[in-house]
Amino acid sequence: MDTIKIDDNPLELAEKIVEDIKFSKEKGLLKCVQCGMCTSMCPGARNSEYNPRAMIEKVLEGDESVISDKTIWNCFYCYTCHSICPVGNSACEVNQILRQIAISKGIANEEVSPFAGFVDLMMDIGLGGIPDNFHQDLIRDIGKEWEEKNMNLNKIREELGLKPLEMPKNSIKEIRVLLKKTGLDKRVNKLRE
Amino acid sequence: MYDKKTLNSQKLDLRVGVFICRCGGNISDIVDIDKLKSSIDADVVEEFENLCSLNGRKIIRDNIINKELDRVVIASCSPITHEKTFQDYIQPLNPYLMDMANLREQCSWVHGDMDKATDKAITLVNASIEKVKQSQAVDPILCQTPESAAVIGGGISGISAALSLAKQGVKTYLIEKKPSIGGNMVKIGKVFSPVKLAEECGMCLLNPIMNETVWHENIEILTNTKVLSTERRAGNFSILLESNPRYVDEEKCISCGKCIEECPVEVPNRWDDGLSMRKAIYKPFSQSYPDAYTIDMENCEKCGKCMKKCPMGAIYLKGEKEIVPLNVGAVILATGHKTFDPNLRPEYGYNRYADVITQSELGRIMGVNGPTKGKLKMLSKDRVPRRVVMIQCVGSRDEKPDGHKYCSKVCCMVALKNANIIKHKYPDTDVIICYTDMRTPGMYEKYYKHGQENGIRLLRGRPGEVNKKGDSLVVRVEDTLQKKFTEIETDMVVLSTAIEPSQGSEEISKIMNVGITEDMFIKETHPKIKPVTTDVKGAYVCGTAQGPKDITDSIMQAHAAASKVAEIMNDGLEIEPFVAEIDDEKCNLCEDCISICKYKAMSIKDEMIYIDPMSCSGCGKCLTVCKPRAINIHGNIDEKIFATISGMLKGKKEGEKRILVFLDQVGYTAADNIGVNRVDYPESIYIIKVHSVNRVMPKHIIYALKNGADGVFIGEYPGDLMYQEVENKMNQIREEIKDHGMNPERLQFSNVYIPYFRGLANKFKEFDAKIGSMDA
Ligand code: SF4
Ligand code: SF4
Ligand code: SF4
Ligand code: SF4
Repeated sequence: MDTIKIDDNPLELAEKIVEDIKFSKEKGLLKCVQCGMCTSMCPGARNSEYNPRAMIEKVLEGDESVISDKTIWNCFYCYTCHSICPVGNSACEVNQILRQIAISKGIANEEVSPFAGFVDLMMDIGLGGIPDNFHQDLIRDIGKEWEEKNMNLNKIREELGLKPLEMPKNSIKEIRVLLKKTGLDKRVNKLRE
Repeated sequence: MYDKKTLNSQKLDLRVGVFICRCGGNISDIVDIDKLKSSIDADVVEEFENLCSLNGRKIIRDNIINKELDRVVIASCSPITHEKTFQDYIQPLNPYLMDMANLREQCSWVHGDMDKATDKAITLVNASIEKVKQSQAVDPILCQTPESAAVIGGGISGISAALSLAKQGVKTYLIEKKPSIGGNMVKIGKVFSPVKLAEECGMCLLNPIMNETVWHENIEILTNTKVLSTERRAGNFSILLESNPRYVDEEKCISCGKCIEECPVEVPNRWDDGLSMRKAIYKPFSQSYPDAYTIDMENCEKCGKCMKKCPMGAIYLKGEKEIVPLNVGAVILATGHKTFDPNLRPEYGYNRYADVITQSELGRIMGVNGPTKGKLKMLSKDRVPRRVVMIQCVGSRDEKPDGHKYCSKVCCMVALKNANIIKHKYPDTDVIICYTDMRTPGMYEKYYKHGQENGIRLLRGRPGEVNKKGDSLVVRVEDTLQKKFTEIETDMVVLSTAIEPSQGSEEISKIMNVGITEDMFIKETHPKIKPVTTDVKGAYVCGTAQGPKDITDSIMQAHAAASKVAEIMNDGLEIEPFVAEIDDEKCNLCEDCISICKYKAMSIKDEMIYIDPMSCSGCGKCLTVCKPRAINIHGNIDEKIFATISGMLKGKKEGEKRILVFLDQVGYTAADNIGVNRVDYPESIYIIKVHSVNRVMPKHIIYALKNGADGVFIGEYPGDLMYQEVENKMNQIREEIKDHGMNPERLQFSNVYIPYFRGLANKFKEFDAKIGSMDA
């Protein structure tokens, strides 16, 4: 049985989110009537166990377990819920803030570490690109031709009269210094712990 | 000009009598009555144990007659409780030649120190003496209104109001823009009442009422007619109507219908929500009134075929608009509603899929007088739908652009009604209502349960979109109770669209200058305790023009509006005499006052400014813009305020603090409550009662500060129409105070509410402390 104690303030979490700089909808969150319109249109909900309304419900109940709920990582950030909520809430932004909280608590490494490859690439070649660990998924989703294109990228570029996709060595070094100065490398290492 | 004010009493040697009441010790235990008596300068000063007793009445009258008194001051309790009593006791003097000094609620009950309380009592009595010397004999204005009324809008509300008025002997004009009376109820198909678990024919209920209206000798029905302008002057509404021709003489037409056979034009029938077609010459519906055909000139080709065919020679193709003047004593606005345009929610596919319809259209489809003669059919094919999904709150409880924040109040019942009818006639058709909350207040809950027993399914969740999948429509919704994303396959989707203000309501509110709510419905003066009254005196509202409601509520409101009209017809309107009056000698017809008056009380008549006493609130706003000072508030209001101020400041001692507090009726009642509850506040507080704080003008405030007041406190009830006005002018007055070399902080403006009397007492204390700490 759940007991709601007199001194509990269930809105603490919700108020924290409303005040977050990311949250653009003023009091919308506190006006949620649990109509489920967001879920009805949510591609994340259609394809997984994720449920934006249920997420909002937990936030409004002050149920902090929502932060470690794995399903919140299934939102696509498509902003559909943001634009259709009849009372002006944004499940999408609430989700982003919850994920930030999860990251800062260090409980989201499993979800976020695969993306560390993006940072590695920046460090290595000074450019954004698709990290190796996603290649298998892409081959599966798009097909063999994707692999071929990726492997022969410089050749294709040459045929098209384009230069190879490369940064000058000096620039790569500069970028590396900059990224280290911002402490990004340490953050990424922390994610991998 | 602020330093010396010549008070213009007509007769300088007015004889004033002061009657002091001990109030059974309530006053005399704290106020030293002997000292009070000896400190007052008046022609008669008397004291009594209980002045309000019948004995008191005799003593006051005897004194007035024997000592030839011209004015009377009663020093006793609050005018809120006993003003009427003492106005009566001073007969044969005019009731407005008396003033009350409130020694109980404002002195003995709030102060403990006998010396200070006695000094304050002397001041309060002095102020009353000064004030009463400026009073004039005035009579209340009685406006007799003509015993006729106009009801604008011929739906069920307007019809009910007109009938009720007619039965009370009031000549009533029922004005309808469309070619027939009947309104939305004609289209509704079936209706139900919560006590009877059965649906009845709406038209069968409406018909007898319509007939009664048509036959009642006190009712004149004007169809095809709209209001062009209205003007209210002295209890009279002058209305200009524009009456459009029907192109068929309603006296001659026998409704044989021969003309329609000939007419080549076909257009969607609006009385059928466009679900069927009609000719350019048509009869709105079979029981319409007047019982005659009409031509819709927008679509008519003027071929003249109908004319040739008509056996009665009733048709004419040339007709002019007619302007009809009307004079009535009151107006009832019953301009009804329209429904939310479902095209504004394209996600529901209203225009894309033939089988996405509105509840109103479903009502037409299932109405026996509708396009399918009452058979439930899909619009895309000739088949009974196997499943119908209803979507609630389309445009209601919706804060998106074009949506309405409010709940439309009837949609849950309408959906249940239509669902029940489907279940009765087609038990095999599955009906699912997707809702956010089912709202079936009061007895309607019974009908909700009835629906559940009939097998109507309810799914809690607000659908996001309707799509087509193969042969079916698909409604996407979360079943929020099961926490499941759900797709419902269906043959038909019915949208429960919001109720919104009609265009007619919008138009009439502009024409008549009646207030509207944030949601654009016609506003009631006070939604809680003054239902059906509007901001325009003598104009009332009923039905969905005022807000979403069902038929029963509309009829009840119509009757309430009719009885309000009957009240003013029977008794006339007695109006406080303190209204603006104009000095035509001084007025240069600049018309500045006309534009500033919020109550639209002023106009030009025979090249002079005319002030309608019915409309004037006596707020005094016009005085502030009148450069030649041609306007005055009847009853010497201005002079009385100056006199009261100087009376309140008379005999101020060295080092003494006096703060003048101006309160209107609401504030004064709150101050009385402080007394009744024996909460104390500083003796420096001196309360002056005014009709509206707007009558306190910068000149009064500066006059008070220049003549010894240490502070001025103005309390205003935020519900007052002039509130914004007063708040705005405060800054301007502060500037003026500065210009006079005084500290603007000596003026305070504050909200007051009757129950918040302790708060008011605290504000008095705080302001007193603030003033005490000031040196300039
Ligand atoms: S659409 Fe808005 S109101 Fe409805 S459940 Fe989602 S967040 Fe709450
Ligand atoms: S932004 Fe996320 S929660 Fe919102 S509809 Fe898209 S996937 Fe669902
Ligand atoms: S004159 Fe007009 S109403 Fe008459 S038949 Fe021709 S189109 Fe129809
Ligand atoms: S006193 Fe007020 S209501 Fe009366 S005419 Fe002047 S501005 Fe209008």
